[in-house]
Amino acid sequence: MNGWILAAGIVLGGGGAAALWGVTTGPPARRVIAQNLTTSAVCPALLLFAQGYGRPAYVDLALLLALLGPVGTLVFARLLSGEPERERTSAWGLTWAAAALGAAVVVALCVAGGPGRAMVKLLAIGVLLIGGNLIASRALAGGFQGVRGG
Amino acid sequence: MTRRTAPRAVLLAVGELLAWWVALALLWLVLISTVDTLERIVGASCAALGALLARMGRRAVTWR
Repeated sequence: MNGWILAAGIVLGGGGAAALWGVTTGPPARRVIAQNLTTSAVCPALLLFAQGYGRPAYVDLALLLALLGPVGTLVFARLLSGEPERERTSAWGLTWAAAALGAAVVVALCVAGGPGRAMVKLLAIGVLLIGGNLIASRALAGGFQGVRGG
Repeated sequence: MTRRTAPRAVLLAVGELLAWWVALALLWLVLISTVDTLERIVGASCAALGALLARMGRRAVTWR
């Protein structure tokens, strides 16, 4: 076990467990926010595991997750927007904390890996992860009122 | 009687396709693990197809 795997275990254990607890308890508005933050916990953990075990294939999983996670959340936001009594809750503190976690992991891996194509790929994953997280959180908070069903 | 497309429109279309192709081909080169001739050929072909689809999609969501 090295530091990367330890960090991945902490991120996956702490963030994943917190997200699971949030998804399984509480009102639907809170559950969908927790579901959205699951991506932000699991994707950095996969990146750290890829570095720790020396398996670049895990990076592809992280890329797919960063791409598809926010898309899934947008589908939930669209479906839940039809309920008139739905309270629009947001968790901007958690959202920015998740974004900071993703940025820290990507920067650490870029420093460890050095410049090259792998670094560009990591940066692309970071942009997808953080940008997707912020857009999905804004959609859940009712930020896109102009969009039909947003 | 044949309708002729304005040269400016043709140039714009070709330019847009080229821009999409360059962006998609670069994305392909970044995402693959090993760069060799076969990957370059497949990547260029996929980027060409993707550029056509991207322009069609962009035109479908643009009102004009």
